[in-house]
Amino acid sequence: MSLLQMRGITKDYKLGKTTVRALRGLDLEIRTGEVVAIMGPSGSGKSTLMHILGALDRPTEGQALIDASDIVEMKERELVAVRGRRIGFVFQTFNLIQTLTAQRNVELPMIFQGHNASERHRRASMLLDKVGLGDRVKHRPNELSGGERQRVAVARALANDPEIILADEPTGNLDTETGNAILALLKDLSVKDGKTVILVTHDPEAAVIADRTIRLRDGCVESESAGGE
Amino acid sequence: MFFEFLRLAGQSILHRRLRSWLTVIGVFIGIAAVVGLISLGLGFEKTVNDQVAGIFGVDTFIVANEGSFGGGPHGGDADEYALDLALLNSIEGVKVAAALRERTGYVQGQPDESGDQLQGFLPVLGLSPELLTEFESFTGELEVMPGGRLFEPDDVEVAILDLEISQRLGVEVGDTILVAGDGSNELNLTIVGIMAPPDEEEADSEGGFGAAFSAGSEGDTISVPYGTMDLLWGPADDVLVTLVRTEPGYDVDEVADRAEDELNAQGSEIMAITYGDISEQIGQFTNIANAILAGIAGISLVVGAVGVMNTMYTSVLERTKEIGVMKAVGAKNGHVLSIFLIESGLMGLVGGIVGTIVGLAFAIGATALINTGDVFMGGVDMAIVIDFWLIVETLVGSFALGAFAGFLPAKRASKLPVVDALRYE
Repeated sequence: MSLLQMRGITKDYKLGKTTVRALRGLDLEIRTGEVVAIMGPSGSGKSTLMHILGALDRPTEGQALIDASDIVEMKERELVAVRGRRIGFVFQTFNLIQTLTAQRNVELPMIFQGHNASERHRRASMLLDKVGLGDRVKHRPNELSGGERQRVAVARALANDPEIILADEPTGNLDTETGNAILALLKDLSVKDGKTVILVTHDPEAAVIADRTIRLRDGCVESESAGGE
Repeated sequence: MFFEFLRLAGQSILHRRLRSWLTVIGVFIGIAAVVGLISLGLGFEKTVNDQVAGIFGVDTFIVANEGSFGGGPHGGDADEYALDLALLNSIEGVKVAAALRERTGYVQGQPDESGDQLQGFLPVLGLSPELLTEFESFTGELEVMPGGRLFEPDDVEVAILDLEISQRLGVEVGDTILVAGDGSNELNLTIVGIMAPPDEEEADSEGGFGAAFSAGSEGDTISVPYGTMDLLWGPADDVLVTLVRTEPGYDVDEVADRAEDELNAQGSEIMAITYGDISEQIGQFTNIANAILAGIAGISLVVGAVGVMNTMYTSVLERTKEIGVMKAVGAKNGHVLSIFLIESGLMGLVGGIVGTIVGLAFAIGATALINTGDVFMGGVDMAIVIDFWLIVETLVGSFALGAFAGFLPAKRASKLPVVDALRYE
């Protein structure tokens, strides 16, 4: 069943007086529970596509459907709700709040959803345990290694139990071993928890966990293949 | 959710400790100035009010020339006024009224050994005997030299002299002096007392509000009973001040209004001044003074607010990516706005707390310093007023000031497009 459908998506950016077209009539479909790698060279439109898939941005033209609801038609507060409840983000640079402990970073998305303190605390502890950081809950990001930070970021992405995990170059700032551990963790989320994982990367090794790989070039889907190649 | 945002904002402030404190300093200087100056003003107001209340009590009012208090149709120059004291004493609710009138009269003393006799024009005060017995809080404690006495109710042709003038006139208790009034009115007055020279220490501690009534203050004054003035100069049109005590159970303001109406209906041009009137005037004065001082201190608050705004703009810029992350994980614009408003408000509040403490310490220190000098009459110490509501208003106001100063930066943060914020390096 299709969870996400992009139909004829174009996205234009204004850079000064010139308009840059980052996506050019892109079509794609992502099904519930699959791990999809979106690959392509720099400037191919990966990040732009990720922003639209994550309801962070609206396309200039086309339909971006999440469960048949078009984000183009959604009001801002509906987009916020989609981001908060249905999608979890994992960024290349982790993007943890430096002033907060690992525990509080994981609680952050739940705060915005209005969950009470004890519920937040319980779930954040459980998630940090799940990613193997049960003993690091009180540490701030600058007291954690890169791999640990990315694990905290994965736990944060899972805070509101979203259906979709959107990971943007999740291994980009990690060594191979740590990166592999993160990829295994993401794969587990799909296999064990039925999450839909979208992996935006230019690293072919990162794509090995994917059920399907979509290659972009110049703002269009260049090819699609099963597995990580 | 508010407490969570408060916690997030607090953590952010603590993370940027030095910058936050520097910003807070800008606020606390202004707050300290406002709290300190207003507290001093309140202390001054309370002290003066207490002094006036101590003199007036709850049952006394003053009758004065219409123009002598709070501005009137005649301005402040014409202090003397006509008064029918008997009428005033007969008004319902008046227990006792005592007046003071003044004239300059021709006075002749006793011949000295060579037969010379001092004569000349001297100030003559007419005092109701009750002024000395019933209104001691106004007159202070008057003392005569040994062998003399103060006025008694039935006294007529008697006088009390200041020490200096008694020596110049060459008279002692029991001697007579000649005082001439209008036309052919003249009386030989027997000296019944000579004022004791004012003791300096006592003058400091007991001079009181009514020191002006003290016959010993000028050194050349001749005091006679109030009724004697009638015999010399006729009905009173030269009254300086009248003090009125009301009967128990009567409202002093009502009696004062009645007295004012009835006396003015008889041709007097007077006004009755109660403690409430004076207190109101003092309040008006201190309110104006406080407003001016607070206005000046407010300038430093504006500077403090600009400091908060500057810090918050810097903070928003630095945390652009953090704002993007918050929005990506589900924060609404309103959430981001609230977090930043609370953060700037907290900085204002901390400035307010520190400023209030410093301001109160300043007021207490300044009051102690003022009290080392003799600023108030009678050696009264200035009161220290720590006003609970001033503190509450200051703390609420300082939070609001911080939040207000942080509003534009917070709004900018809340409106940042999430994609742009996430891309920010």
